[in-house]
Amino acid sequence: MLTGSIGAPFAFLLAVLGIVVPLLLIASRAKSVQRLAIALILAASFAGCLVAVFGFRRQPGTVVDLSRATPFPFSFDVDRLSALFLLLVCSVAIPVTMFAAPYFDRHYSEQRRNWTWAFFSLFLLSMIVVVTASTGFAFLAGWELMTLVSAGLILIEGESAERRHNVFIYLLMMHAGAAAVAACFFLFLPFSHSLDFGAIRAAGAIVPPGIRTAVFLLAFVGFGAKAGIIPLHLWLPRAHPIAPSPVSALMSGVMLKTAVYGFVRFSFDFLGGGPAWWGYVVLLAGAVSGLLGVLYAIGEHDLKRLLAYHSVENIGIIYLGLGTSLIFLACHAPLLAALALIAALLHTFNHALFKSLLFLGAGAISSATATVDLEDLGGLQSRMPVTGTAFLIACCSIVGLPLFNGFISEWLTFRSFLAGSALTNAKAQIVLPLMVGVLALIGGLAAACFVKAFGVAFLGRPRSTEAEHAVEVPLPMRSGMALLAAACLFIGILPGLFLRPLASLVQGLIPGAGVPEETLSIARIMPWIAVIVLGTGAFAALFKRRKRMARTWACGLPGLSTRMQYTSTVFSKPIRFVFARIYRPDRTVERLPVDQPYFPASISYRSVRTTSYERALYRPFVDLIVSLAHRLRRLQTGNIQVYLLYIFLALVSLLAFLRFQR
Amino acid sequence: MNITADILQVLALILGAPLVRGIIARMKAVLQRRRGASIWRPYAELFKLLRKEDLVPPTSSAVFRLAPIVLFGATACTAAFVPLVHASALLGSYGDFFLLVYLLALGRFFLSLGALDGGSAFGGMGASREALVSSLAEAPFLLGLVALAISASRADIAGIVAWTLGQNIFNISVVHILAFTSLAMVALAETGRMPVDNPATHLELTMIHEGMVLEYSGPSLALIEWASAIKLHVMLALLIALFCPWGMVSTWSGLGITLAVLLYCAKAAVLMILLSVIESAVAKLRMYLVPDFLGVASAVSALAVIFTMWVRR
Repeated sequence: MLTGSIGAPFAFLLAVLGIVVPLLLIASRAKSVQRLAIALILAASFAGCLVAVFGFRRQPGTVVDLSRATPFPFSFDVDRLSALFLLLVCSVAIPVTMFAAPYFDRHYSEQRRNWTWAFFSLFLLSMIVVVTASTGFAFLAGWELMTLVSAGLILIEGESAERRHNVFIYLLMMHAGAAAVAACFFLFLPFSHSLDFGAIRAAGAIVPPGIRTAVFLLAFVGFGAKAGIIPLHLWLPRAHPIAPSPVSALMSGVMLKTAVYGFVRFSFDFLGGGPAWWGYVVLLAGAVSGLLGVLYAIGEHDLKRLLAYHSVENIGIIYLGLGTSLIFLACHAPLLAALALIAALLHTFNHALFKSLLFLGAGAISSATATVDLEDLGGLQSRMPVTGTAFLIACCSIVGLPLFNGFISEWLTFRSFLAGSALTNAKAQIVLPLMVGVLALIGGLAAACFVKAFGVAFLGRPRSTEAEHAVEVPLPMRSGMALLAAACLFIGILPGLFLRPLASLVQGLIPGAGVPEETLSIARIMPWIAVIVLGTGAFAALFKRRKRMARTWACGLPGLSTRMQYTSTVFSKPIRFVFARIYRPDRTVERLPVDQPYFPASISYRSVRTTSYERALYRPFVDLIVSLAHRLRRLQTGNIQVYLLYIFLALVSLLAFLRFQR
Repeated sequence: MNITADILQVLALILGAPLVRGIIARMKAVLQRRRGASIWRPYAELFKLLRKEDLVPPTSSAVFRLAPIVLFGATACTAAFVPLVHASALLGSYGDFFLLVYLLALGRFFLSLGALDGGSAFGGMGASREALVSSLAEAPFLLGLVALAISASRADIAGIVAWTLGQNIFNISVVHILAFTSLAMVALAETGRMPVDNPATHLELTMIHEGMVLEYSGPSLALIEWASAIKLHVMLALLIALFCPWGMVSTWSGLGITLAVLLYCAKAAVLMILLSVIESAVAKLRMYLVPDFLGVASAVSALAVIFTMWVRR
């Protein structure tokens, strides 16, 4: 059943997360049992990290086969790609669990807390199953469990009608996506005769081009729905903000990455790349998601919604890298394809780190002030210094500033765009370098957005009494955030330790690829940049030893009130003004009484950003389905004879079909 | 020997930066028929500010004091990327232009945060406007540099300079003209010059950079001013190095160096005259015309990238 020395810890991990922890929590509500469960989750995650690291070194790696216990082939295999994503899931799970322990204690009653932890453990398990499965059945089982358990975690938080509606949309889109993913697997079946990944990989070469294209498009849509590329992102800004913050951290930081994993598995591992237009489709999806994602994020003042839209943006950046890699692959440039794929995978990992940190930060804010509306925050940096510093590091990382991890992956993406100019293909030669401009615009807008998010929430003066009386969160929450922040800085300053294994991973996916020169040069330069910037900064700090408190200049008035500060909405106004075409807000101004426009007794102003996707894309589709359903309703007469007739007709047609088929 | 030359170059860029500001201010004064201050005045100002104490608003956090330090560190680091008289730079061969642009962004990010930390409306106003300008300026900045990198088929700045040195001055292509146009426009926006921002204003309707630094004083203000002077000098040196590097030396000889320094000063003087003429002749753009200005720069730089297709062969 188990092969390889790492099989045992991997089986331990599956058993603990899947069986022991949920059973323990259901069996007893004692506080000590809950502590034990948390400790077990931490231990399992740590074991997962070890399995990932050792499994990466020892290839071909661990296989755990459970087929005897299940009706379908059900086995796990930690190859290099799986190891990377296993490391991603488990290394994010540790700090999130540390954070969640006091967070759930504060927010939930005892009974709910037990359910939450049980679901939390199953959620981790489902993601681990997805990224390590080596049969289609195991993959789909994990995929389905992941959707259901995360929906359950959202519903534990509350059950208002709006929440249920959002969860409904989430489930609907996830299942549409899951159907597409399942179809991908089944399309291989006539050629591979089994859903084992090895067989599918072997069949990848003999599948006819038409089926290949169908598989690619289905994978693109199916995984795209999970990843939240525009216009399939509809569920994302609805579902992520309403989940409890540690769960949002896992959903945004880790769950979206399983979609990236699936897409890479299909398009690179199984299909081995395809025609160039695949790459352009992915590139276009990435550019649109990146730009629109960041623009929508700027318009938000609910911190968690803002972060959710930034997930759309970052998935866009990852898809930009994946698309570039597919284009290079189609142009027979394996080295450059490797560079772009390394960029995409590293950004996937980086995004998992900083996005989960950002959501934990939002959770810390909401647990200290009971709100995540930026307009009610302010001045939290001096009240919650550790949270603030960790959040600041995450902001710098997501913006892609040097010395932080986001920069490394964005830099690699930039360089792979630039390398596109070396191709002989005229279209790629123009399109890829121009994508530098798109990514630069995304980066610039993201910087603007996070100046706003951090500046309004943590700097200046508090805008509400809750923010004024905020106190720092307890130690486990702080240390969870500090761990993630340290990881962001570590990858940002010493990227070499991470890029070398990534290069060897990518060599396995792209035959004939060497180690791209760019990965070596960035690894060489970043420590020096860190030394120079920090050294010069330390030198500059020598001048600033004396300080004196003095009130902020108030233009000679007695003092400033907190309402004189820029708010989040005002801060983003210039950008929203420039990009007004994209937002298309619905504005209504009502002046009362109507006959006195210049001296109104009351004015009410309402501005709602139109959800143009819903109107243009989803509404006609939904209407079609509903009208079809109405028509089909005529079949349901409620008359038993009619139903007997249906059965009879079905039987006859089935028999006729069988007769004529032969 | 090369390392020494490169370190000297970096120091010259950093220490000479206030002088560039002083000269531009003086040129503007002459153009506007004023007598103007001495060209050494920025140094005197820096010394004065550095000796004073830091005034800190009681409601601010550590970020307020950290921001000028990060800004200075990041901006000073960009000075190590640009060749001045010696055709290489300290970080010229490993560090490419993406790193340079993003180091500038790092400084700007922290300065904007510092501005918001002051807790006044001016800081927010400056930071908000800076966010608009800089987010739109990044794309043309990088695209202009990409066009040059494609023509040189190198990504490091020293490599691009070395390639340009090997070209004939009359061999200038349309790519270079387009790239220069867009980079010059971006340089105006990046360094907060007319017609995007007015460095001399203290009126809340018009200020961007000045709004952000309004709450700063003493050594913090000195670091910010020095950093923005370095930024101006780096942009100037970058334009010279990328578009007119002829005269730079690659070997170490007394006569060659002297000549190269003199040539650099002459080229810088031409650019500074150009800048002061623009600043004296052009009115500041309305805030919402700045995106159009940067949109033109973006379009020009995109054209530059597209034209590399035909120029290369």
